[in-house]
Amino acid sequence: MKIKVKLIGPLIYEAGFSEKDIEVPAATTAEALLDLIAIPKERPRIVTRNGKAVAPHELLSEGDKVAISPIYSGG
Amino acid sequence: MYGWTGNILRVNLTTKTFKKEAFSEEFAHKWVGGRGFATKILYDEVQPGTDPLGPDNKLIVALGPIAGIPAPNTGKCVVAAKSPLTGFYGDGNLGTRVSEHLRKAGYDAMIVEGKAERPTMISIENDKVEFLPADAVWGQGTYATNDWIYGKYGAGVGVLNIGQGGENMNRFAVVRSLEGRAGGRPGIGAVMGSKLLKAIVVKGTHPIPQADPAAMKALGIGDLKKVHEIDQESGWSKQSTTGILSFCNEVAGLPVRNFRKTQHPDSWQIDGERLNNARVTTYGCPNCTMRCGITIHDGEGRESELDYENIGLLGSNLEIFDLQQVGCLNYLCDEYGLDTMSSGCVLSFYADAIDHGATRGDFKFGDANRAKQLLRMAALREGKVGNLLADGSLRMAREFGHNSEAYAMQVKGLEVAAYNCKFIPGQALAFGVAPIGAHHREAWIITFEINHTTRDSYGPEKAAKVIELQRIRGGMFEVLVACRFPWIELGWSLDNYPKYFNTITSLNWTLDDMWNTADRIYGLIKLNYLREFPNTTRKADYPPGVWFDPSNADTEGPIAGKVLELDKYDGLLQHYYDQRGYDNRGIPTKATLKKLGLEAEAGEAEKFASLT
Repeated sequence: MKIKVKLIGPLIYEAGFSEKDIEVPAATTAEALLDLIAIPKERPRIVTRNGKAVAPHELLSEGDKVAISPIYSGG
Repeated sequence: MYGWTGNILRVNLTTKTFKKEAFSEEFAHKWVGGRGFATKILYDEVQPGTDPLGPDNKLIVALGPIAGIPAPNTGKCVVAAKSPLTGFYGDGNLGTRVSEHLRKAGYDAMIVEGKAERPTMISIENDKVEFLPADAVWGQGTYATNDWIYGKYGAGVGVLNIGQGGENMNRFAVVRSLEGRAGGRPGIGAVMGSKLLKAIVVKGTHPIPQADPAAMKALGIGDLKKVHEIDQESGWSKQSTTGILSFCNEVAGLPVRNFRKTQHPDSWQIDGERLNNARVTTYGCPNCTMRCGITIHDGEGRESELDYENIGLLGSNLEIFDLQQVGCLNYLCDEYGLDTMSSGCVLSFYADAIDHGATRGDFKFGDANRAKQLLRMAALREGKVGNLLADGSLRMAREFGHNSEAYAMQVKGLEVAAYNCKFIPGQALAFGVAPIGAHHREAWIITFEINHTTRDSYGPEKAAKVIELQRIRGGMFEVLVACRFPWIELGWSLDNYPKYFNTITSLNWTLDDMWNTADRIYGLIKLNYLREFPNTTRKADYPPGVWFDPSNADTEGPIAGKVLELDKYDGLLQHYYDQRGYDNRGIPTKATLKKLGLEAEAGEAEKFASLT
């Protein structure tokens, strides 16, 4: 299935893209999707699916948009 | 006493006199510095009912024990006064060399009283204070004024100045310094203007008193290097704060069209990636190794320094998705010395009020050229419209009527920062209870709400988080004085800050001591508010009505059909009051005030209003 991935802020430069569709097997979790993207795992981040927070074990669905952002404290 | 110079410089513009006043160790330990000093001095010296734009208001410039000493990120100072925008205590911080120079000149704070006869610049060099004519730059913008000062004194001095906005007493005029730094959102620049004070220039040459200068130098410089390494490794400063725009757009928290919408498909055109691509150079405050000020060439070829609040409120909120045009608006705000956030909210409110028939006018969302004209009119108070805009959105709404106050995006008169809380209850609370009005500096809990709690919770955990963040952000960082960015953005431990403080002062404070100081300051700001508004109710802590209006709900996206619920918000507010020890008006109880060491201040407040 196809998942749209959007990266925010410095993650763009680490992964080498800002937004793209990624083909993943059915029953892929959010955590498994993150393993496919070349961003450091040790730094805090927030992951959303269609604008809402998603837990690592949650299964993704065809057409989901997953955004990965560093943690900000406001401007 | 180490860590403080022990002196405040009191300057009177009416009499052209000055004196150096010593303060006690007890005062230093109770109020620490920065916002603490400003809050206490203004409470004691500016009586309720004082005209904020009259000679009896006082301008405070205040620093803390670590301000100006090389360490992460200590190049900031606090400016404060009774606010002409909100009518009570107002303040802000800005990056400036004043933080170092005023301390090296021998002062931890400065009080400016009275009113000059003609445009004036105060020049301070150690014990020498001069009142110099500033007619040559009166009427000039902040860039020209800065250059004029640098031409006289060299570029290494500390400068605070105002533009035409401050001169004309625009109520959201700021104080400016360096290339793109501004502070004092609640019209502190207008207070300078009301005193005919165009600028303050400071040069200090003495060492700042420290318990162990060698240890602090090794610690501070070592940590500046570490912060720089973390920034480089994480890449934070590639986009600095501007990555927030994409995040807010994803989670439906972006201000669009005077906060009526929370997302926009064109927002990518002004996002952090586009900004980084257009970068000309990067500016930072003194003692900063993670510089956040990204400049671009604006639509007229000028360098304009942008951050998230600028692109959010002068961009998406006005539905202007052309980065160069947003750059123009930002440049004009900086040049005129206007707060970019209030400017964006005032213009968006004006367009919205026209849209909704509350007033007549020719400004529409998306019209960058008219927005530029309106900024000029607001800065110079040109004509009826210029005067209207210059007074801020709350006064505009009261003039317009037609229930327009519901969509004047402000709390207590101060315009909301660039976070659309239509369905972010905890951040709405953070704006509601921010002590000086809707400033994001006090608490920003959006990530927490979305990541760690249920977004639609109105539970006590959100009130607790707001208080935790207020203590850190509005408290500790504002009294020390330092920028908060290394902490969350780079994961720089909060434990470092008591370490700096203790190394400089030889005290043995913990973070809990910092929180106690923070609570005392918040309590005193509430007393300041009560003295000015003795009939206040809890409704003063409500965010704008439009966030509760179901007809304003998004029709699609992650929060489709949802807005804040008033009764639940009120319950969340009560959680905050209960945890703070405040009464049902949001004022600290007598028992809380006693606990905070504010008995004398409470007695003073009781001359004007009742305490419970």
